[in-house]
Amino acid sequence: MSRYIFLFDLDSTVTGQEILPTISKELGIYEKMNDLTESTMRGEIPFKQSFLQRVELLKEIPVSKVREMIGEIKLNEQLAEFIRENRERCYIVTGNLDIWIEKLVEKIGMEHNTFCSKALVKNDYIQDVFSVVDKNAVISQMVLPFVAVGDGNNDAEMIEAAEIGIGYGGVRNIAPSVLACASHVIYEEGKLVEFLEKLL
Amino acid sequence: MAVSRTVVISCAGMGNRLGLGTTKALVEIDGKPLIVRHLENLINEKDIRVVVGYQAEKVINVVTKYRKDVVFVFNHNYRETGTGASVALAARYANEYILSLDGDLLIHPEDMKKILECDFEFVSGGVPETDDPWMLQTYEEAGQKYVSAFSKNLGDYEWNGITQMKSSKMMNGTGHVFQLIEPYLPVSFMELRTREIDTVNDYERAVAWVRNGFK
Repeated sequence: MSRYIFLFDLDSTVTGQEILPTISKELGIYEKMNDLTESTMRGEIPFKQSFLQRVELLKEIPVSKVREMIGEIKLNEQLAEFIRENRERCYIVTGNLDIWIEKLVEKIGMEHNTFCSKALVKNDYIQDVFSVVDKNAVISQMVLPFVAVGDGNNDAEMIEAAEIGIGYGGVRNIAPSVLACASHVIYEEGKLVEFLEKLL
Repeated sequence: MAVSRTVVISCAGMGNRLGLGTTKALVEIDGKPLIVRHLENLINEKDIRVVVGYQAEKVINVVTKYRKDVVFVFNHNYRETGTGASVALAARYANEYILSLDGDLLIHPEDMKKILECDFEFVSGGVPETDDPWMLQTYEEAGQKYVSAFSKNLGDYEWNGITQMKSSKMMNGTGHVFQLIEPYLPVSFMELRTREIDTVNDYERAVAWVRNGFK
């Protein structure tokens, strides 16, 4: 058995849909949200600024409603099952907000194994985002060698630092910065899970 | 016997000698890229790894259009390392055996069947053909030929880069593929009909070979 810890990006890696663009479709703010998401994925806007702008777009929606909607986002079920079965060695590393993704991460058994951004809530509305996750800071805490899986520009550093850094392109295109440093890239969920099982 | 095997196709190199400005695995032979010709012959193989480097995205796009269940392995140091480095990277976390093929090689479809039926280690060669070959020295024992050495000058067959070895033996190295195999010689020999595409002359010979039904 290896000693690898497995770090997963959440959005369009463990989920089969892009979280914020998908819910903003239902809320009628898709275009603005999608533009921001796309330029962030390509690395044209720093993640922190972009994420705060995207939170602004959803600030008028009750937190409980956003949480419910995100809870219904489709998961890549084979990958989610791998995470559940190996939950003691798996972690989610996502820029998304704790109070929004709570229900979704519970579904994959990661409620105690998630590094994410955090917000203060008052009367079911976001008062302030008080921390935006820095994936680089998360990986700098790692003592054991790790495997990292992701697709976006803000995953590139953890993928580069990983012993095995995997770009996953099953949901959307892999960011150029990830292609530039990944040790492996995989475009099919079943193949990704099969490869991860070899790394256990 | 179904062997537990990972097929490794090395496509990381630049192919400068061909002068087409494209990585050799993407060179079209009679309207079809070399890498796709490999994939067609490997249709029933479950575990395929394609090593990419130069023009990685182009290779990935061509392969994923054909099939998506492939693991791409990056050799980011393709400029400084040989195909041995690509194979070593792909051999990590692979099945018990790896079958290693060069992306710039054209293999007779019938010989590919022979390769895929093989459930033991082998090193392969053919009739010497290229301008700058590495040769295989062989000997025969009980009706089976074995490769005893790789050589620049001496040997009966030209090494074509095709080999099946235990993956645990192939994980370290940065030079040629045969340098990974050398410590484990002798290994069974398999004669195959192939065409390597290194130069424009090779390319023209390969096109003629395909158009003539591999004769």
